[in-house]
Amino acid sequence: MRRVMIQLEQVHKHFGQLKVLNGIDLEVTKGEVIVIIGPSGSGKSTMLRCVNGLEPIQKGRIIIEGDDITDPKTDQNKIRQRIGMVFQSFNLFPHRTVLDNVTLAPIKVQGKKKAEAKQIGEELLVRVGLADKAKDYPDQLSGGQQQRVAIARALAMQPDMMLFDEVTSALDPELVAEVLNVMKDLALGGMTMLVVTHEMGFAREVGTRLMFMDEGVIVEEGDPRKMIADPQEERTKKFLGMVL
Amino acid sequence: MGQFGRYYFNWDILRDTLPELLKAVVVVVELLVFGLFFAFILGLLISLMRISRVRIIRWLAAIYVDFFRGLPLLLLLTFIYYGLALVGLQTGLRFLILPPIPAAVVALSLCYAAYSAEIFRAGIESIHRGQMEAARSLGMTYGQAMRFVILPQAIKIVIPPLTNELIAMIKDTALASVITTPEILFRAREIMGVRANPTPLTAAAIIYLVFTIPLIRVAARLEKKKGSPGTPAGM
Ligand SMILES: Nc1ncnc2c1ncn2[C@@H]1O[C@H](COP(=O)(O)OP(=O)(O)OP(=O)(O)O)[C@@H](O)[C@H]1O
Ligand SMILES: [Mg+2]
Repeated sequence: MRRVMIQLEQVHKHFGQLKVLNGIDLEVTKGEVIVIIGPSGSGKSTMLRCVNGLEPIQKGRIIIEGDDITDPKTDQNKIRQRIGMVFQSFNLFPHRTVLDNVTLAPIKVQGKKKAEAKQIGEELLVRVGLADKAKDYPDQLSGGQQQRVAIARALAMQPDMMLFDEVTSALDPELVAEVLNVMKDLALGGMTMLVVTHEMGFAREVGTRLMFMDEGVIVEEGDPRKMIADPQEERTKKFLGMVL
Repeated sequence: MGQFGRYYFNWDILRDTLPELLKAVVVVVELLVFGLFFAFILGLLISLMRISRVRIIRWLAAIYVDFFRGLPLLLLLTFIYYGLALVGLQTGLRFLILPPIPAAVVALSLCYAAYSAEIFRAGIESIHRGQMEAARSLGMTYGQAMRFVILPQAIKIVIPPLTNELIAMIKDTALASVITTPEILFRAREIMGVRANPTPLTAAAIIYLVFTIPLIRVAARLEKKKGSPGTPAGM
């Protein structure tokens, strides 16, 4: 059955005078992998941050699995537990070991027993290929490894959907693939994903929809392969010409 | 040495004075333990208020910090000991009459809470905001993110400046002598009066330096090797 996971209705967001999102409509159903591209400053990060309530919006509605996060009665902390987020700069907790990074939220937020959280955490580290790094500290890992830990950390909350904000942009080129592979596995496993990236290979391979954003609006969207091969809008053509 | 030694390093007086002053060290330790405890608790609370999203709360915290940073500690001590007691005696509000040690603890705590608040705030603000975002995105509340992610990292950063606070506070306990707290300087002056010789001051100086110099060294070393905020202990 078609299940709507994320719904944005005419979302407007501005920082003071600066209008960043100018009426975004978006509907993401279960298992979709939406790839979002667009020039710097077009509002991609801001949109992701609005989706899990890290940024408040000024107008419109954001509905996560039926819960309106713009409703003051909604407990945003509860909603965020269902939305994993991975950042460009990893943001691992440097004072905690890799395994502790992964188990912290399940223990403190979900109230899981230490042993149970540890077991889930170790399984996730196996899944991202870092079982042997459990006792290391983040600064002992390469960027690619840190980012895979960050993905494991988000997955440990057993989220229903995941947001990725340019998670490979800070990585050396030879480390990009290891992170993308983890993301591809996730996508193929049926995870609902919103992915801001300029990795067109990823968009072609596992993206179910490609979206081009500019100046706070969605300019064009469609099937990734079709859109990359034959963009309709002038601005999309220009942008794709630059990144391909 | 000659005359100078007779007055300032009078061996007999030094020998008699040191054990007396060591008893006063207990009072100083008491002032420090309670003073630091309340100063850090209150300071942490004020630093959190200082970064609150609610403007009024931020203002209240800023007013507190400016007020107590701007006042001479000596005035504060005098007010809390004599100023309150005077009113207490005249109105019968006996809770206003504080013995010297509690009065000194209150004054030191209020004053040092303001300094610690600024140190804690700087420590918290030095943690990259991505840490708070990552914690919140995992579903942690603001309080949980502070407690499990931000503060543990900030603590490491504030240890060197807090060591400097401790050194300053050790020296400031001497101000409590003006409200008859039987601490080191107060006792040294008493003995000086009885023996008509300033050697007790020398004894007091030795005791202060025995405490402060190692701490000054420690603070200097901590500051020098202040690694990245994330460097785990033992690395
Ligand atoms: N907290 C903030 N306060 C003020 N302005 C902000 C804030 N966050 C973002 N902006 C501004 O909003 C605009 C959109 O930023 P955003 O980070 O969403 O763009 P982006 O599409 O993710 O760009 P990039 O590709 O560079 O990451 C930019 O002009 C940015 O400067
Ligand atoms: Mg961005």
